[in-house]
Amino acid sequence: MTNAARLFRENNIIFVTLACCLVFFLISPRFASLDNMSAISRQIVPIGLIALGQFFVVVSGNIDLSMGMASVFFSIVLGVFFGMTGGVAWGIVAVIAGSVAMGVFNGTLVAKLKLPAFIVTLSTLFMATGLSGLIIPRGQQIFLIGPFFRYIGAEKYFGIYASFLFLAALFILAYVVYNHTRIGSYIIAIGNNEENAKLSGINVNAVKIGIFAFSGLCSGLAGIILSARMGFVQPGLDGNGLLMDGIAAIIIGGTLILGGRGTIGGAFWGLIFIGVINNSLNLLNVEDVWHLVFKGVVIIAALAMNWVLWESRQVQTH
Amino acid sequence: MSVKTLAMKTVAATALLATGAMADAHDPLEIVFINDGHVAPYHVAWLTGLEDAIAAYDEAFGGVSGHWLSAEGSLERMIQQVETTINEGPDVMFVNAINTEAFEPLIAQAQEAGIVWVAVHSPMESADYSFTLGDVTNGTNQGLAMCALLPAGSTVGIMLGQAGNPSGEARHEGILNGLSTCEGDIEVVAEQPADWDTVRAQSIAENWLTQFPDLTAISGVTDAYLYPSIAIAQSAGRDIAFFGYDGDVPIMSQMNGGPVMADILLSGTREGWNFVQMAYRIHRGDELEHLYDFFTPLVMTEENHQRALANGFPADVQVYYTDAALEVAEFGYLEFGPDSVQ
Amino acid sequence: MTAATLNTEGQSPKKIQLNTRYMFLIGLIVVASVGFSIANPNFFSIANIGILLRSISVLFLLSMGMTFIMLTGGIDLSVGSNVAFAGGVGVVVLTSTGIPVLGFAAALIAAMAIGFINGFFIGKLKLSAFMVTLATMALARGLALVIYDADSINVTNTTFLWLGGTSIGNFPIVIPFVALVFAALCVVLYKTAYGRDVYAVGSNINTAFLMGRQADRTVVSVYVLTGLLVGIAAIITVGRVSSGQPWAGLYLEFDAITAVILGGTSLFGGRGKLFGTILGVLLYGIIINGLILTGTNPYLQSLIKGLILLGVVLIDTISQRRSAQ
Repeated sequence: MTNAARLFRENNIIFVTLACCLVFFLISPRFASLDNMSAISRQIVPIGLIALGQFFVVVSGNIDLSMGMASVFFSIVLGVFFGMTGGVAWGIVAVIAGSVAMGVFNGTLVAKLKLPAFIVTLSTLFMATGLSGLIIPRGQQIFLIGPFFRYIGAEKYFGIYASFLFLAALFILAYVVYNHTRIGSYIIAIGNNEENAKLSGINVNAVKIGIFAFSGLCSGLAGIILSARMGFVQPGLDGNGLLMDGIAAIIIGGTLILGGRGTIGGAFWGLIFIGVINNSLNLLNVEDVWHLVFKGVVIIAALAMNWVLWESRQVQTH
Repeated sequence: MSVKTLAMKTVAATALLATGAMADAHDPLEIVFINDGHVAPYHVAWLTGLEDAIAAYDEAFGGVSGHWLSAEGSLERMIQQVETTINEGPDVMFVNAINTEAFEPLIAQAQEAGIVWVAVHSPMESADYSFTLGDVTNGTNQGLAMCALLPAGSTVGIMLGQAGNPSGEARHEGILNGLSTCEGDIEVVAEQPADWDTVRAQSIAENWLTQFPDLTAISGVTDAYLYPSIAIAQSAGRDIAFFGYDGDVPIMSQMNGGPVMADILLSGTREGWNFVQMAYRIHRGDELEHLYDFFTPLVMTEENHQRALANGFPADVQVYYTDAALEVAEFGYLEFGPDSVQ
Repeated sequence: MTAATLNTEGQSPKKIQLNTRYMFLIGLIVVASVGFSIANPNFFSIANIGILLRSISVLFLLSMGMTFIMLTGGIDLSVGSNVAFAGGVGVVVLTSTGIPVLGFAAALIAAMAIGFINGFFIGKLKLSAFMVTLATMALARGLALVIYDADSINVTNTTFLWLGGTSIGNFPIVIPFVALVFAALCVVLYKTAYGRDVYAVGSNINTAFLMGRQADRTVVSVYVLTGLLVGIAAIITVGRVSSGQPWAGLYLEFDAITAVILGGTSLFGGRGKLFGTILGVLLYGIIINGLILTGTNPYLQSLIKGLILLGVVLIDTISQRRSAQ
């Protein structure tokens, strides 16, 4: 394989994203305006947190379906604490503790009891949906107004949203952990073959529980960002849409859904790609009914492209 | 905060009413309301109003009971819920049909079982009653308010309902009607459906603010769109005027000195209370119009109303001032409580 | 690994496990029914049972297809959207030609086409079933919205509405029809070589590979078969609501997956029976119907659904591990 071909194969999503940006720019020059770029950077933060948490889960050969509705649930936890105390400190403590606890719960059932992650997290998805409405008095909405929410929702440094800088920092941290510590290789080993990983002395259960604890934490953080950006919380936000965008981002970024392969950089570019697509569907006034068709085709195209580029590595379904 | 005081006041009010009312045991009345959803802010207020009203009427007259069901947007589920409810045989059913044609055969079945069927929002020929909103008129009033309150040369973005939804389309038609009275002064620069969804409304608002640096106003066919849009405009430091539709308490509270210029006073709370009052009146044998029109005035501050009148806003459009509107929206019993039927 | 060990251990322990599972499910169904009938005496009325069975007839069909797919170790998230898409194609063809047979054929072909796309990517290209069907879930719903232009279309043709809309007294004719489909699928799964292939593909894909290229074709075929069942479900749905709806079948895929898992079919393939699926759908349907009858808050309904799903799977796993020891 020539160098150029390898460069393309390994970074295809970057080229595809840039090509899309160019097309959108030609159709609507406003696309490339600084304002619009920063709008995109802000819109992708909750999706990015979900994609990052999901990334490790998927590389380990599992899936966390609860992440979307859990982030809605935790945004409401923050709202309820804010409504009771008028401050955010206790709410944030509760969200972080609660989201990690939920992740540990998912992880323990998956790791220790060997239940399929799909079923465990499907049931926590249902439970999070139900609890969102039950912990808020009569399902009403709560307004979140204050310096903290304004900071998370709108503060900028050097023209870049603080929330996006936070996300970028988390991605860099994840990159270091994934590529330069043993934890990363453990996760890949588990995703490739759990039995072998166990035989080679990896504490598989602990790693798995840790992975789910992290995806839980990411849901909680996404909840905090969501609530701050909306300025109010309300059960029944479309958390599953966030989940789907998050999964699509990492798959488009070349992560193998069956586990064992994926790069943080790819996940990041996949996220940018999803953000660009979401933004331009609105910006170009694409008729509403076509949005879903478009997304479906994009995911299938990404899958097909991954198949062409990585064909030999694909093994078994599900 | 306001939720708590509301609950306390409601309790106090119902207690007062109960002591004053004759507690004679009537023929019992059971009410079921089948709605298409339960999560939008308007729906929440609506279902809460219904629950409170049922409790208040039961306390005042005895024998009043009922509950609501949510089809969560699914027609199949709504049909199942209607069939099951008909089999239960309540006295009055309110149905906010997702698709009116699909329910025609079920109306006959309900009437056979002696149940009074009230079609909600979209009128139905064979229903015993239809509870309607006057969407076109209300939309027109919103459009007229924009004409009277926005300076010439203003630009407006309109957030629409789900494509194909009759209520959303009627409101849209009305808004354009109203705006046509000041043709040329106000330009509609964008129109986009946000599917009654707050998150979609948020993305759209974000994009509009970057796309149209001079945007003057945002109009919505539901107040649900204004919650995120107001937050976005505030955090971007932009001065946008908002025109709402629904009479949600949190939105109308942002009128005095706030960015909300006008709203249509439906108010979910009021509608829930009105349902119970209507069911009670049907049950005791009052004669009601086949098409029962919900009273839905326009809401503005007094100051804005004077300004609008000076700018040629028609004097015959009924307007509630903010404080009065907030009061009736929070306390549904003021207009539709047990006192109103004695 | 686990599936393979089970297989080499022979048939008898597996059968015993499945039987205790079914007894447990039947027990739950009885408990739920008695509980709801105490809360509401109407629960056991003939009319309510008719309503219950009719309301779950579509779920029955989808869950049976999902059982085949899950036996091969796959999953199909697109079935709910596909109900809307196939219904849309059928209704549009019917209204433009006026010939019901063409409408039926169009609905079935459209649904099977989506099934074939799924099967092709999953069976031939070996892509993840979850991802492929997640994409077709969005695609089929989007196409349905485009076909309908987001609005519903009313149907008056009595032939087209017959299957989903007709009742004899309180008894909907769709119920014996679903029973017939169940019987036919039982024959296919248990009495034919094809049925054995389905189990073989799921219990150990490598062994099945050794048998030849059959494995690919078997995987493609279960998705097409599910497409066929989705097409029938779409026709029933149109009949039931006398109209074509762009949002028909919303979240049905989650209901079907939940019901199949409740019925004891393994997500990893190779283990499960259609009879279990029937029980799973019944239990699920009874719970939904009972929660409507008792006017339960929808949020509480979600919580209960989650707890039941997790509870049943937990108890099942623990009891299996006990009996394995």
